[in-house]
Amino acid sequence: MTLSREERLAAWLDGELTGAELTAFEAELGSDPDLAALAQEWQGNDSLMTAAFAPVAEAPIDPAMLERLGLVEPPAPIAANDNSPWWQRHALPLGGALAASLVAVLLVAPRSGGDARDPLSQALDRTPSLAQADLPDGRKITPMLTAQAADGRWCRAFGDGKDVAMACRDDKGAWIIEAKGKGSAPADNAEFAVASGADDAALDAAQARLKLADPLDATAEQALIAKEWGGHSSK
Amino acid sequence: MEYLTTLVVMGAWMEQAGLGAGGMRAAIVAALPRLRRFCQAMAGNSVDGDDLMQATVERALSRSGQFEPGTRLDSWMFRIAQNLHIDGARAAKRRGTAVDVDALHSLAGSDGRELVEGRSQLAAAQRALQALPDDQRVVFVLVVIEGRSYRDTAEVLDLPIGTVMSRLARARGRIAEALGETRESNKDAAR
Repeated sequence: MTLSREERLAAWLDGELTGAELTAFEAELGSDPDLAALAQEWQGNDSLMTAAFAPVAEAPIDPAMLERLGLVEPPAPIAANDNSPWWQRHALPLGGALAASLVAVLLVAPRSGGDARDPLSQALDRTPSLAQADLPDGRKITPMLTAQAADGRWCRAFGDGKDVAMACRDDKGAWIIEAKGKGSAPADNAEFAVASGADDAALDAAQARLKLADPLDATAEQALIAKEWGGHSSK
Repeated sequence: MEYLTTLVVMGAWMEQAGLGAGGMRAAIVAALPRLRRFCQAMAGNSVDGDDLMQATVERALSRSGQFEPGTRLDSWMFRIAQNLHIDGARAAKRRGTAVDVDALHSLAGSDGRELVEGRSQLAAAQRALQALPDDQRVVFVLVVIEGRSYRDTAEVLDLPIGTVMSRLARARGRIAEALGETRESNKDAAR
């Protein structure tokens, strides 16, 4: 195969010349200033082109693109007309007349005989979801759901008419706040309003971090409350 | 080279485990950044390049049975992309679609990630590449930008090595002219 001067130059630049061909070409380069100048020009152009395109292959492929390309599993399908996060689609009915009919008021006061835990923890221990508990400081809290975290702790989302929060129960029976977000404005009947307008982002992030299982239904939750959250001491 | 090893290992793994779709998807994701660059270089701008990449991935997924395990998945995808690009260019020619060169230039790198300097550098490089006919451009992109050997390139494009060599020499000649023109016009603008 007889190569032209330009073809030999290109092959030399690409490291494709070997042995006798390589030796001969480099001798030619040394004795031909025009060829050497062309080699320098092409080499410079190659570097320029390579450098210009390098960032394109370094740019991250964003998740939306991967999804569009069918390279990731799309998020689990959500029922039509239900774009709410899972904690608003939980097993217990929430909102409207049904919720109002379920609201019961529990008074949680420090008991003589010494449950030393904070009133919020006591309320979360005893109040079923959608019932309301009055705290000694005047807050009214309404648990919304109960679900188990991947680490085994029980967690509850609840609201106080103003904010929504996620708390998980430690092994001493204290409920530790894991996340807080703005709730919607309190409804005029003081029922905790969560159905719309709540800032879900904080709670969604918490549920993802805690890897919460599906929320319990009312019966299972009632049983859990009855056996004091799996037998951990609440005294 | 780590990248290459990954692909080869994945190919072998897919063959062994008969893992079809899941393994194939993972290997495609690994090859995506380079495929994206290849597609943008062939298409002339980032928007059309990403469209070409999407069409390439769709075809690769729908024809995953045609991929030979143990060979390079990215080479296979480059070949698919090149064929789609040629088909698309033919269709555009039949429709008589005029290519608005200024629009291409303003689109090149328009995703806002590059700094202005990087963008103008990429735009100049795109301009030079678009001065090449498709058959020279693909050889130049594979060898110079993707760093493939002549033999690899000949295999991807199903060409004799001699053809790869002659196209590369001609491509470099034209690139030199195009970049030379850009330099001249920059000098004029600076005056």
